[in-house]
Amino acid sequence: MNKDLEHKFLIAFEAHQNIVHKICTLYAKDHDSHHDLFQEISIQLWKAYPKFRGDSKFSTWMYRVAINTAITQYRKEKKRIDVHDIDHVLFKTSAYEAYDKKEEEQLQLMYAAIKSLNDIDKALIFLYLEDKNYEEISETLGITEVNARVKMNRIKKKLKKILKP
Amino acid sequence: MKELELFKKDWKAKESGFPKLNQEALYALIWKRSSSIVKWLYYISIAEFVFWTALSILTKSAEQEEIIESMRLSTFISVLTIVNYSVLVYFIVLFYKNYKLVSYQSSVKELIQSILKVKKTVSQYVWFNLSMLAVATLGSLIGSILYGPESEAILEMAHQRENTFVFWGIIGLVVVVVIALAIGFLLLFYRLLYGILLKKLKRNYKELVKLEN
Repeated sequence: MNKDLEHKFLIAFEAHQNIVHKICTLYAKDHDSHHDLFQEISIQLWKAYPKFRGDSKFSTWMYRVAINTAITQYRKEKKRIDVHDIDHVLFKTSAYEAYDKKEEEQLQLMYAAIKSLNDIDKALIFLYLEDKNYEEISETLGITEVNARVKMNRIKKKLKKILKP
Repeated sequence: MKELELFKKDWKAKESGFPKLNQEALYALIWKRSSSIVKWLYYISIAEFVFWTALSILTKSAEQEEIIESMRLSTFISVLTIVNYSVLVYFIVLFYKNYKLVSYQSSVKELIQSILKVKKTVSQYVWFNLSMLAVATLGSLIGSILYGPESEAILEMAHQRENTFVFWGIIGLVVVVVIALAIGFLLLFYRLLYGILLKKLKRNYKELVKLEN
């Protein structure tokens, strides 16, 4: 990558780094692996950037690369440890917002439920949380719009079942 | 789904809670992959040091001391131990320095050079340990042949032979085979211990060189 391209990449990455952080909160199991995944995604973005043609928005491209990396890493991890310990997953809510206890508890449960989903379902929920419409979701994940809708409905049902068995 | 909507609302609110890295920090992060590998090399060198030291303390006995004494190896073993431990401490310091060096590197070129340095340290470390093992084995074998419990029988046998040269030749061959076996085992151990990490480091190195070009 030449210096100009490097610079362009760093500016865009700096502006959109939250996307990577948010993916890490869904895919990483603890603070250390959050950092590792953040780093791994950064490296993959860097490597892929010279091939980014600008047909789509930078953020859309970033979503795609980041999700793919997270899924690949997740599968590697999964091979190593096949246990998912929901109890250890702590969802840190923003400190400045005062939630009542019940709401806080609900958020925790939802977070744990989302974390227990499989890698693909997580990606869909992530894009949904990011307020992406079905067209954008299908474009980012490389599936049809209909497929995205069907999957999303199934995931919502799954979440409901986890929350109220 | 009410719960999901609530979560979505909170998800957006969380946005400002993430650490914000500036461009330099992001750039550095991309090149920092090697640091965790080098950190492990450092930890393993300490673990190995502790392991061998513990082993030698635990297996130390008065009986063993007597045997060493009878083989006239006390001075040899003491000198060897002092040399061994001082050099090992030196290597641990070196491993630590490497780790710090790789962690604070900012340019790709410097990082590539540091990785080469790490590889050199590891191979020097392995070679040192192998030579120490060879010297210790050689010393003990010579000690046990000349002064050990069976030494009289061995020396007697050598006298009875017409061709003492061939006799000592065979003994020498046995010594070489024993040393080679000992080295082989240790080499295998190191291949497993450091080989995997060095392989990862090498891969990272190749990637860095490719990007640098």
